Amino acid sequence: METFALLKKLTEAPGPTGNESGIAAVVEELWRPFVDQIVADRAGSLAGIKYGSGPDERPRPSILLAAHQDELGLMVSHIIEYDGNGFLRVLGLGGVDRRQLLGQVAVVHGLRPLTGVLGVLPDSYLPAKKRGQSVTWDDLVLDVGLPFDQLRTLVSVGDFVTFRQPLRQLQNGRVTGKALDNRASITAVTICLEQLQGRQHLWDVVAVATSQEEETYLGAYTSAYSRRPDAAIVIDVTHAKGPGANESELNELGGGPVLDIGVNVHPGLYKALRDAAKAIEMTVQTGVHGRASGTDAYAVQVSREGIPTGLVSIPLRYMHTMVETADLVDIERTGRLLAEVIARLDDTFLSGIKEELMRPRNNAKPMKD
Amino acid sequence: MNDLIRTLVEAYGPSGSEDRVRDLIRPMVEPFVDETIVDAMGNLIAIKRASGKATSPLKVMIAAHMDEIGVMVSHITEKGFLRFTNIGGVFPHTLSGGRVRFADGTVGVIGSDALEDMGSIHPLNKYFIDVGATSRENCPVRVGDAAHFDRSFEARGRHLTAKSMDDRIGCAIAIEALRQLPDVTDHDLYFVFSVQEEVGTRGAEVAANRILPDISIALDVTRTGDVPESRPMDVRLGGGPAIKVRDSGMIAHPGLVRLMRRRAEEAGITYQLEVLEHGTTDARSMQLAGPGSAAGCISIPCRYIHTPSETVDVEDVTGCVDLLVAMLSKGIEL
Repeated sequence: METFALLKKLTEAPGPTGNESGIAAVVEELWRPFVDQIVADRAGSLAGIKYGSGPDERPRPSILLAAHQDELGLMVSHIIEYDGNGFLRVLGLGGVDRRQLLGQVAVVHGLRPLTGVLGVLPDSYLPAKKRGQSVTWDDLVLDVGLPFDQLRTLVSVGDFVTFRQPLRQLQNGRVTGKALDNRASITAVTICLEQLQGRQHLWDVVAVATSQEEETYLGAYTSAYSRRPDAAIVIDVTHAKGPGANESELNELGGGPVLDIGVNVHPGLYKALRDAAKAIEMTVQTGVHGRASGTDAYAVQVSREGIPTGLVSIPLRYMHTMVETADLVDIERTGRLLAEVIARLDDTFLSGIKEELMRPRNNAKPMKD
Repeated sequence: MNDLIRTLVEAYGPSGSEDRVRDLIRPMVEPFVDETIVDAMGNLIAIKRASGKATSPLKVMIAAHMDEIGVMVSHITEKGFLRFTNIGGVFPHTLSGGRVRFADGTVGVIGSDALEDMGSIHPLNKYFIDVGATSRENCPVRVGDAAHFDRSFEARGRHLTAKSMDDRIGCAIAIEALRQLPDVTDHDLYFVFSVQEEVGTRGAEVAANRILPDISIALDVTRTGDVPESRPMDVRLGGGPAIKVRDSGMIAHPGLVRLMRRRAEEAGITYQLEVLEHGTTDARSMQLAGPGSAAGCISIPCRYIHTPSETVDVEDVTGCVDLLVAMLSKGIEL
């Protein structure tokens, strides 16, 4: 499938943190032709397993590709009545940026899906001290247009709410919509699985669309535990440069996949990704994490006895808004890079990355005065 | 049930010092289970195994925490006053005029440094405990000693008030459910009376790693929005057991939420749905353990949580018992 169409299908599917069944059904449909086995688990993750061509006699080594499928959403916290009309109060699921909620169109997943709008009194109508402020959860209402009595029969406290926002094309290969965090990465993994159809790879590939990354990394913790891979690569999005951004820390939109190095990343996986990019002459960028990466890598790294984990990030502007913006080229390159690194995995990989971890970093050139 | 509740809530058991509560509970549950284990952290695990005829029994973990919030002595002044730190979520505005009791029965009263502005609240480190000592030497308490808040149980009609409803009321519900459950059940039930919930759901974490449950249900309190000028919250005292949909530490398994609602409706139990902005329970640890479990929580609506006057409604409490029994005495299919 063409990348824009793939990304559109994935970003428009509902899958708020904690209730990923909608998006998981789409992922399953997309991955099924490319994998040997599909496993859905009770934590809400979906795994697609593609067997490697290595010998069957002993357990084949496996690599986990983890990309979270959950998206930001809302949850109904109150059903209120005003003059016989019904309104919903909501709270955020995941790190919702409240400043951008006003004017959004959303779907309440009640007994049946109900389209609604997120509104608030006009600024000019607010008491002076509230003007020009970001909206609070206490002021925001979700209005589906129903009278209170009818609303109450269709919607319960605790019902999930997702945003309605189609994926759109901007100029220059840029695309914008909701949930590119992290459906851009699911798209890249899908491209990788498709590419692997025509290639030999010795290792088993376990692609997992994980659940609840935006809240607790639930799917990453539980999938790494139950799949017990020999190595892992997590794919997520990262903040891209733009006006006002910190130039020294961030990467370019359209500048290629970001290979991360830092506390959640095994240097051996970082090197493998870099070597693979070099082999296919792909432009890549580097992301540096002095602290926890804020991705599934944080959880996968410490599962079981510890799992050597790499991290690839797709540059993204306006993260956690309804106009997240990515470059299709970055997504396609990430998919191709993953396929390349997987095809290069062999019997010596695990012993090789141990050496990488132990190698002294004493080749720094002395500074000139 | 009030006698059981009184016994549990008046016991001493700040996080890390749950042994007395455990000693009370163990003999109460032993007649109803096949095995009891106390693990390295101090969790009491009471196991009621499925009948031999059960096909593919699931492992169901039910957790109620034994620990309560409290204080720990961090420094003793030359004049014998105690400075202290919190065990769990202790809010300074609840301290003034309060009393604490140490494991050996020593009672202390809480005082504070002079307050310049009566409209403000001191941080915790400006409070001290006075146990009547006059010097470090004659102080009966040492650095590292823990105390709980000293307040008796009161039954006021339907409302029950105590210092440690959080979460001895959950323990009481688990015990009462064990008494009421049929001899034969379809699933392996692991009733865990957990330690150190108030300092990060620590006990349930190791118990869940041992058990690797398929299904997890925490029994814990949740706040209400039914007192004057409270933060909005769609749970009230007397509205029945609250089925948790989410809190700030976890989102309950949607299938388990659906099943709880169905079981409540079948049994004619009035229930509420809970969306909690701040706080979490042992369900978080149980959800994340091992390959993950389908986790949820039956919450007991409670006013004034983390104060010495935590208040629940006795009808809500019996509703929670009924709901738990309804969940556990039938098959569980998500």
